[in-house]
Parts: sequence; C-alpha cells; structure tokens
Amino acid sequence: MLNLFQLVLQIAVILVAARIVGYLFQKINQPQVMGEMVAGILLGPSLLGWLAPGVSAALFPPASLSYLNALSQVGLVVFMFVVGLALNPSELHGYGHAAVLTSHVSIVAPFCLGSLTALYLYPRLSDDGVTFNHFALFMGAAMSITAFPVLARILSERGLVRSRMGTLAIACAAVDDVTGWCILAYIVVLVRVAHAARPAWVTIAGSLAYVLIMLFVVRRLLPAFERAFRKRDHLSDNLLAVIVVLVLVSALATEWLGIHLLFGAFLMGAIMPKAPEFTRYLLHKFESVTVVLLLPLFFAYTGLRTRIGVGGGRAIWFYSALVIVVAITGKLGGSMFAARLAGMPWREAAALGVLMNTRGLMELVILNIGLDIGVISPAMFSIMVLMALVTTFMTTPLLEWVYPTRLFRAQVDEIQKNVA
Amino acid sequence: MVKHNLVPAYLLLVGVPVLGLLGILEAGRGIPAPPSIGGEWTLEFDLAAHCATPPGAILRQPAFNISQSGTEALVTLDDGHATTLEGAVNGNVLTAKSLTATIAGKKGERTLQGTMQIDGCGPVAFRAIRQAPKKGGE
Repeated sequence: MLNLFQLVLQIAVILVAARIVGYLFQKINQPQVMGEMVAGILLGPSLLGWLAPGVSAALFPPASLSYLNALSQVGLVVFMFVVGLALNPSELHGYGHAAVLTSHVSIVAPFCLGSLTALYLYPRLSDDGVTFNHFALFMGAAMSITAFPVLARILSERGLVRSRMGTLAIACAAVDDVTGWCILAYIVVLVRVAHAARPAWVTIAGSLAYVLIMLFVVRRLLPAFERAFRKRDHLSDNLLAVIVVLVLVSALATEWLGIHLLFGAFLMGAIMPKAPEFTRYLLHKFESVTVVLLLPLFFAYTGLRTRIGVGGGRAIWFYSALVIVVAITGKLGGSMFAARLAGMPWREAAALGVLMNTRGLMELVILNIGLDIGVISPAMFSIMVLMALVTTFMTTPLLEWVYPTRLFRAQVDEIQKNVA
Repeated sequence: MVKHNLVPAYLLLVGVPVLGLLGILEAGRGIPAPPSIGGEWTLEFDLAAHCATPPGAILRQPAFNISQSGTEALVTLDDGHATTLEGAVNGNVLTAKSLTATIAGKKGERTLQGTMQIDGCGPVAFRAIRQAPKKGGE
C-alpha cells in the first residue's frame, strides 16, 4: 500500500542530495547533471546502504521503490520527448561526410568492441536465461551511446555551441542518438519476442505501421501547434495538454508493441516542428519540472539498483576496468580516428572523440531498460553505471587538456568575424 | 583526406567491423553460461523434519528471491528480516551460507533440491520451484 509520508520524504531527501552534490560538482567544473547522477549512487547500497544500512532500509524499503520507479518513468517519458524535441536534422547540413562517417564509426567501433568483450564477460556475468547474441548486442549498444543532452549542456556551459567543433559534435551526437535508439529498439524487440507469447510478426509489422503513421500522418498534423503558437506567442493550457496526451499515447503504443515506452516519447519529440522559438517555448515548458524534480528521482532509483564494489570481490573491479577501457577505446578512439580520416586536424579530432565519449544520463536510461528486460545482470548493470560515470566525469577535464577553452573561443570569434 | 573517397572509407571503417560483429556473434553461440536461477522461489519442506516451529511458519511464500550475476547469487529470505545470503553457482550446485541445493530442470522450469539450515530445526530438506522468471520485462 502507498505510504504517502514515506514517498514525500524520499522525494525531499533525493532533491536535497541532488542539489547539494550537483552544486559541489559545478564547483569543480563538472556539469550539474553529473553531480545529480552521483547523488543517486550515494543514496543507494554503494554508500548509504553500506555506511548506514538501517537508515537506508528505513528510508528506501524495497516495497516502496515501485512508486519511486513509477514517478521516475513518467519523468523519463517527458525527458525523452524533450530529447527528441531538441534534435534538429538541419544541424547536419554542411557537415555531410564528416558527420556521417564520424558518427557511424563512433557507433560501430564501440559496438564491435563491446560485443567482443561479451565473449569474455558472458560466461562470468550472465546466465543461460539470456542468449549470447542478446547479451552481446546489448553490450554493443550500451557501449556505443552518446549522451546528446549532457554533451549539449557541456558545450553550452562553456559557450562552445557555436564553434566548428561544437556544432559538429552536436550533429554527430544527434546521428548517434537516433541510430543508437533504433538499434536498442531492435534489441528490445528481439529479447521480448523471445520471451513473449505474442507472435514476432505482430511486433514487427505493428512497429513498422506505427513509424509510418507517425512520419506520414501525425507529423503533418503537428504544424497546427506551431501555427497556434505564432498567433498568440504562446500555447493555451488545453493545447499543451493535447501535446502531453499525444506523447503519452505514442509512448503507450510503443510499449504495447513490445518496444518500450521511451521510444514512443522520443519519436514524438523528434517529429515535432523545429522552428527555434516554438522549440524553445516547449523546452521551457517541459524541461523545468523534468530536470528539477523527476530526473533526480530516476537517478536515485538507478542508484538504489547499483551496488558498486558490493560483492563479487576483486574480479568485479577487474571487469569494471576492462569495460571502462573498452568503452573509451571504442568511442573516443573510434570517433577521433574517423574524424582525423575525414580531414580534421589531430587536436580537433581528439576533442571530438572526447565529447562523443560522454555517456551520461542516456547510458543510465539504456542500462535500466537492459536490467528491466533481464538482458544484463545486476553486477553487469553496476559495472556499466560505473563506466557511464567515469566517461562522463572525464569529459570536461580531458577536453580542457586536449583543446583548451581559449582555442575554442578563438574559433568562435573567427566564425563571428567572418559572418560580420 | 577521405573527402573524395568517402565510399571506400565508409566500407573499410563501417562495413568491415560489421562483418567482424557477425563473426563475434557466431563465435559466441557455443559459449556456456551458468544456469539461470534468478527470481522468486516457492519452497516445499520435508514434512518429516522435527522443528520447534514449522519452517513454513518462519518463511512466507515465495520464500526467497535470488539476484543472480553469472556465478554469483544473492539469496534474500522472506523471513521478516530480509536476511541475505551470498552464494555461488558451481556447475549445477548452488552453495550459500546455510543452504546447499542442486539445480535441475530446463530454463523455464528450474527447480532446486537440497538442504537448508533453519534455527531450531537443524538441516531441513527442501524442494523449491521458481516462479515465472522476469526475462523480457513484460
């Protein structure tokens, strides 16, 4: 039964921890979201449960977590809509060959290395309830993801969005995001079809019909929202509610088809009209509550499922180090190598690789899906969460070392002079 | 560099690794993994056991939950205190602090058969049946 007092207390503790740790991380030049992710881990068995198991059990009893999970899933649905909304295909114009080659190599290289690592990790961290192919494909997808929102925030906080590197990184991350989510949707369908009573053709044909309806019917109706916005410079509460309902219906459709709620929300955002003022308005409306209230709940829920260093002995630390090295080699190395081959100078290619290596929150979203569908074990989940934290944490200092802000700024000034 | 040779570069950097991925998937098919025992289990005790309190009164059903990561298993008993036992899977044998059991049956119909140390009883023989595993998340 719902214990409202306990739930409100949990939310209050999570928000306070997220704000404090987020603030401390900002003080060391890390994005706020990095601190919020760490706050979630600190509230789980990796720290609070280890230091004060009694307090942890009283504050977060296992039976109460389903409510926290439900709230965080609602937050993720809205967040994925916001991520889709922020994606703009026009950002790819002018970066054709470099963006396509770099982004595809930056997916394929870590994907292959992740799958190769699965040969070693599958007999050690999985079980015969999961096939090797599902495990390896999931490992590949989880290794190849880039955190588009965190990357955009790092660039924005450093004033680098308009630099040549910044725009190329955003374009590549956008391609990565769309490709990564398509691959993940495919894997989720594979796993669910293998365990569901529903025939595979229903999921496949239904998904195809859903995508076609979204692209060729719903997409053509959505500009009506933009026209209403232009007339009054804002949208009425009723129209905003209609948008929310469309997001929820799209999410429910993909969940019913056996893909996942989040894909529907993401696609709805991706097909919304992309006029800058309209997008900014919607982002402003949807982002605040999601980022301030609901995402910290997701981080805490993730943290409560993560057991870094708890059990498994030394072997777990070895597996963690292996996964981190493979993830960095594949993503950073792959992106850098491809960007260099596409004609970029070494320094810029390395900076692009560093940026693409940011996993952040998107990795946590994917890992939670993997744990929910049972394709990764709790220990593998914890190892991958650690990898997400390390790769996100290293971005800012490594970027400053590889490509100092003064060089970025000089590039931005040069672009502005040329425009003038 | 590659501006004018995008197609060959793409084939080399994307196409070849994708072929490699197919090879990895093929190579991994024969790799054995530990038997899956994760999930909730209901227990049937040996009725001949002489205990101060019947084991069925100490443990509610489902009597325990196993969180499995490869050969590592964390058994959480539903004894009112959520007692946890760290265990290991070796071949088809699960060994935890006060529990030893043989894993039998196919993936979807796993059973455990062994003995369990319960306060006031001594070792009690049991048979456990796994409830429908959650793989697939549906």
